[in-house]
Amino acid sequence: MLLTGLLLIPLLGMLVILAMPKTAATSIRRVATAATALTFLLSLRILVGFQPGAAGFQFEQQLTWIPQLSASYHVGIDGISVPMILLTTLLALLASISSWTIGERQKEYFILYLLLEVGMLGTFIALDLFLFYVFWELVLVPMYFLIGIWGGGRREYSAFKFFVYTLAGSLFMLLGVLALYFHTHTFNLPMLAQLGPKLPVDLQHILFVAFFLGFAIKVPIFPFHTWLPDAHVDAPTPISVLLAGVLLKMGGYGFFRISYPIFPAGAQWFAVAMGTLGAINIVYGAFVAMAQTDFKKLVAYSSVSHMGFVLLGLASLTPEGMNGAMLQMFTHGIITGGMFLLVGVLYDRAHTRQLDAFGGLATRMPVYGAFLIFFSLASLGLPGLAGFVSEFLSLVGTFATHHVATSVAVIGIVVSAAYMLMVMQRILLGPLNEKWKSLPDMTARELAMLVPLTILVLAVGVYPLLVLGLQEPTVLALVQHITGS
Amino acid sequence: MPADLSLSLGAWHPELALSVGAMATLLCGVFIRRPFVPKLVAWLSLLWAAVGLHAATSPAAPFFGLITLDAISLVFRWIALGVVAIVALMVGSSRDVDSQWTAEYLSLLLLLGVGLMLMAEANHLLMAYLAMELVSLSSYVLVGLARDIRSSEASLKYILFGALSSGIMLFGMSLLYGLTQDLSFSGIATAIAGLPPSALGAVGMAAALMLAGVAYKISMVPFHMWTPDVYEGAPIPVTALLSVGPKAAGLALLLRLSGLFGPIWGPMSTALLVLTAITMTLGNLVALAQTNVKRLLAYSTIGQVGYILIGITVKSSAGTAAILIYLIAYLFMNLGAFACVVAVWNQTRDESLEAFRGLARRAPALAFCLTVFLLSLAGIPPLVGFLGKFFLFGSAIEAQRTGLAIAGILNSAIALYYYVNIVRLMYLHPSSTTEPVRAPLSLRLAVGVCAAGTILLGIFPSGLLAWIASVV
Repeated sequence: MLLTGLLLIPLLGMLVILAMPKTAATSIRRVATAATALTFLLSLRILVGFQPGAAGFQFEQQLTWIPQLSASYHVGIDGISVPMILLTTLLALLASISSWTIGERQKEYFILYLLLEVGMLGTFIALDLFLFYVFWELVLVPMYFLIGIWGGGRREYSAFKFFVYTLAGSLFMLLGVLALYFHTHTFNLPMLAQLGPKLPVDLQHILFVAFFLGFAIKVPIFPFHTWLPDAHVDAPTPISVLLAGVLLKMGGYGFFRISYPIFPAGAQWFAVAMGTLGAINIVYGAFVAMAQTDFKKLVAYSSVSHMGFVLLGLASLTPEGMNGAMLQMFTHGIITGGMFLLVGVLYDRAHTRQLDAFGGLATRMPVYGAFLIFFSLASLGLPGLAGFVSEFLSLVGTFATHHVATSVAVIGIVVSAAYMLMVMQRILLGPLNEKWKSLPDMTARELAMLVPLTILVLAVGVYPLLVLGLQEPTVLALVQHITGS
Repeated sequence: MPADLSLSLGAWHPELALSVGAMATLLCGVFIRRPFVPKLVAWLSLLWAAVGLHAATSPAAPFFGLITLDAISLVFRWIALGVVAIVALMVGSSRDVDSQWTAEYLSLLLLLGVGLMLMAEANHLLMAYLAMELVSLSSYVLVGLARDIRSSEASLKYILFGALSSGIMLFGMSLLYGLTQDLSFSGIATAIAGLPPSALGAVGMAAALMLAGVAYKISMVPFHMWTPDVYEGAPIPVTALLSVGPKAAGLALLLRLSGLFGPIWGPMSTALLVLTAITMTLGNLVALAQTNVKRLLAYSTIGQVGYILIGITVKSSAGTAAILIYLIAYLFMNLGAFACVVAVWNQTRDESLEAFRGLARRAPALAFCLTVFLLSLAGIPPLVGFLGKFFLFGSAIEAQRTGLAIAGILNSAIALYYYVNIVRLMYLHPSSTTEPVRAPLSLRLAVGVCAAGTILLGIFPSGLLAWIASVV
């Protein structure tokens, strides 16, 4: 019932906003933020009640929905979903505070925003494949409008590209869902994890590929990544935060929740390809990021690079690698979420994102400078901060099984250090551009968005068991389920 | 009156209600000046038909076996009644329809409803032919009623194409009669099963010729050419009617006919498979380039018929169930989309996509409903169109026709472009005028009913699925 609450609170917020007049922008903001805050508090309550060591799913709830299809409203969580839920509710709260700067059509914006949160949370708690698919697709529609109406630049093109790419991917996944259903006659994910491994190996391979196409576009995996820079750059700041922080993780989560447990033979068969794709993502993303002159585009490509570590860890099929992959999804969410917020803070003041246009801002905006340095260092993987732990784990875990891919991936880390240092240098150091000499430093609202993420990045970096402890038993069980050892 | 005839008439009384209603509406229109009287009569007969359908019985062989009132035909009769009712709401409120002709429109609409039901019930070649002609003749007049040059052109085109294809179909039927010496479907099926293999080529010929007649009705490639022109010229409510009613009835007839040709089903299904894939691809690709909303929806209809044909091609009970589910979904979402077009046209007198620019500001509720219909046509969950596609593609996979399912998937991705294009115009673009769109009550009712059907049947489909499962 608590999990259903996660969906009901934003839905209720939506209905309240629907009943409010268009002109009451301030009250609409308050209601939306209150709804996301309540959802976050509820997710903390769930965290308190969650027992990491316990087997199976917790807080499970199952209601009959479409008996003819044996599809049910079935939700529940385990160690894989808990970090994702916390990440989603936290980023949704912070991004809703960031959304206060949205200047037009606030009513529509916050209705779609809360619908988006329902879709994201639903994806992470669904234990029924049909329900999962419905939530997965539900995310697309509000996202299309949020980018298309409130975005900048070529927003229509980017929103549409996002929609078509992800829908094309999900349609292939739909074929996989249908084929899986006709072989097992159930949508129940825990049951599918028992039945799936017994399917013929060839069929597992085909189904793995069908689901892979759906998830790969979302992650995104090279060469399906081209929607990402467009969508991330043209989306408004809070939506970029959710895109990078949560939506990309839906793809990774799909591997953990569906592809790997249901098609273990497919996962093993695909491991080499997965590792190779991961290495390509890391190195390619890093080099392309280095060539960017637009701050936001640089962060967008750095996401392509960092999501490569998730693939690399998944390819390893070792406890360390898989834990690293799972942790990387969480740490990338909080670090990149913070980076996009910082991009937004600067853009709100200067109305440009060209790196060359800045310089010497550290003296004008010391607090901003401190945050930017902190998140850049976290992003390049400085030991002691969150990103290091997960990248290290996934490299260590994968080296044992994929020497070459891992070795290549290390190049990406060097390059990412280079472009992150370049960002700091171009924005903060050097002579101050006269144009920016009156830029104000960060406001209390902006601090309220960034401080929680900063604390979390530091805390996970120093004491990674904070998150690892939640996910480890489930990840270990998954590795055992796949490899049989 | 012989006992079985009165029994037949009793079971057939929904159609009787519509026929009597059609005559009465026409007469009222001629003799009574007040426009609400024919409307009232038409609605009373629709209500009577609905009550009759609700209590419908199914005698063994009504009217000496000319028709069959089985469970599947009951679903199609409900679909026909639903189409007629929703289009009647649109006829009353569209400015595209000359108000002095309202009684004639309604009367023809009810007659067409009888034809649609008969097409789904036909169990005899002559009956099938008569039913198709009843539908065709009523639609020729309906298309041409608008009294402008485009409407007359459309009507003439429709008649010429229609005459040609029913001629071809009649030729096929005569061949079949010559081969089997029988006109009733069950007799033909038995006779074909007993024919020597040397005669099967002639049977195939007859089947192909008859298929041409039905293909014309359902706009299946290569008999789709009339569709965009006729849809563009006809009054919008009539276009809405043509895009759903004859399609559903034609598919019902095709479903029944496909059961007759057991021995040659192998090659026939291969031909159908190819035509299915071409139909959906052609419809969707050409729709991409349209700038007139009626033409766009015409090509979208061709694409949607392509998806539904998957259910015919696989020829399984899952396929039949998928067809019924999709048609019910299609009824709500497509008629809803047309009702929104009527509302916009009433205000702007503009059929181009430009008329939808900035609609979200002028009419938020209407824009929202149209978005729901278009996303449902595109197959986005949790709307009912997704459910229909889920079952259609599922039936293809179950029948090991994965290629067909992949064709459907690729087409769905293509179709997203032109459906979302309208959504884009409505929400992402500013409007040139700020004048709000006002729709009369009956039109709002039509949009509301369709939107409720599209959303609620999508989220809570178990009642619908249970009903369909009980008939196939």
